[in-house]
Amino acid sequence: MISLINIEIYKIFKKWRTYISFVAIGVLVPIIHIAMLIEGEHSIEYMTRNLKQSFIFVGNLLNGFLISYLILNSLVVHIPFLIALVAGDLLAGEATAGTYRILITRPVSRFKITFSKFIAGIFYTNLLILFLAVMSLGLGILIFGTGELIVVRNSGIVIFAREDVFWRFVTAYLFASLSMSVVAALAFLFSSLVENAIGPIVSTMAIIIIFLIISAINVQFFQSIKPYLFTTYMNSWRLFFDNPMNLKEISESILILLGHVALFFGAAFHIFNKKDILS
Amino acid sequence: MKKITLALLVLTGALFPQNKDPEIILKRLMEKFNYVKDYQVDVKIKIDIDYIQAPQTKAKIYFKQPDKIHIESERLALLPKDGLNFSPSAVLQKKYTSIYEKDDVIGGHKVSIIKIIPLGEGNVILTTLYVDTKENLIRKLETTTKSKGTFSIDLNYKDGSEYSLPSEMIFSFNIDKLNIPSALSGEVEAESEQKTEERNKPVSGKVYIYYYNYKINQGIPDKIFNNSSK
Repeated sequence: MISLINIEIYKIFKKWRTYISFVAIGVLVPIIHIAMLIEGEHSIEYMTRNLKQSFIFVGNLLNGFLISYLILNSLVVHIPFLIALVAGDLLAGEATAGTYRILITRPVSRFKITFSKFIAGIFYTNLLILFLAVMSLGLGILIFGTGELIVVRNSGIVIFAREDVFWRFVTAYLFASLSMSVVAALAFLFSSLVENAIGPIVSTMAIIIIFLIISAINVQFFQSIKPYLFTTYMNSWRLFFDNPMNLKEISESILILLGHVALFFGAAFHIFNKKDILS
Repeated sequence: MKKITLALLVLTGALFPQNKDPEIILKRLMEKFNYVKDYQVDVKIKIDIDYIQAPQTKAKIYFKQPDKIHIESERLALLPKDGLNFSPSAVLQKKYTSIYEKDDVIGGHKVSIIKIIPLGEGNVILTTLYVDTKENLIRKLETTTKSKGTFSIDLNYKDGSEYSLPSEMIFSFNIDKLNIPSALSGEVEAESEQKTEERNKPVSGKVYIYYYNYKINQGIPDKIFNNSSK
């Protein structure tokens, strides 16, 4: 099984499209850092302008933690595309290349084939999030240093002591990996349905965008269906920046996302297992 | 007859107490504070505000007469803008009218309540000083402003202190709303009307500042005040 997974990981990293995501993050994150280096003070000024009417802020507000937090906020909109780019190709890519038949004539069960491909996709997803973490947090701390993290939420402002921040980022990034694993699983499911990778990529993004728009519209009907959309829980990494943390809500979100991963993988396996391979 | 006259005098005195001269009280207050030419002090700041959660922090405050203030902190510190300079001159530097209202007791200290009404344009509408006339110390200060609502400052001092420098300050305030821009809050999803109402409701809170390690009249170079607080 391990060798099967290794082969699938090798196949993923053999394709140049895999590196698009790393290049995109490798370019985008330093650009954000440079922009914050030039304009960051203005952003902080805007962020705190009402508070500054009554309070004096002393200390380093613009630090690596704050910038990493702002970058992590963009995760839900932008990173899924980079995930779907690879995960959507895992099964459909075999069909496109005409290698489906040769793949399943090997003395390996269809479950093992599906599972190894899925695990390879999850490995890529986690590696990408790790790269994002290193780029945003590592580079951010290197350029701006550490400091207290000010988090402005709808529910209020929370200022975290610098020694209380790093573990929150670690857990938030772990949660983000799980969120993105749901995206990978969804793209994998669509990948099992078609014979071209474009379809799964576009379908995955379409679903995420539709769900996000529904969540963003403040209409009672949409708000009532919001708990049933998996995108609602993808942003729950923010719960790690609450004080005190709502462990019940975090656990629920983790279970719901894990349930989605299992559901999407199960459906993908079922479809692949029943698939009549003709190419 | 003498008894009736004496009784009338006592009754008149009780009904119409002799007004104190607020200017004399304020002058004595200023004189005592002016013993302090400069000071530097370490402070511990504790924030207790509905809408803001912040850890307790430490900072160093430098002050030089008449109104120079500089703050340094290795960590992020949030300090009330209006309460830091508790010098009476901060209240009395502009033209004003003062009215003695009455005597009262705060925390076991007898105080005279004096209303200060600034003359001319300005953000402050009214300031009420609770002055301990025995020690010549401000025990409490209440200010009503046009833009920031009302805030009050309770000042506690160490017993027998030679200078008018507090050991503890409690800054209480109530502002209309904070209006935090949601674009930067990172919350991309819709918020319920209830949440919006909560976000826009008046915010009240207290900031506790504990002063220790005073270094008084040791001379502070002006260049310290040229740097912005950091």
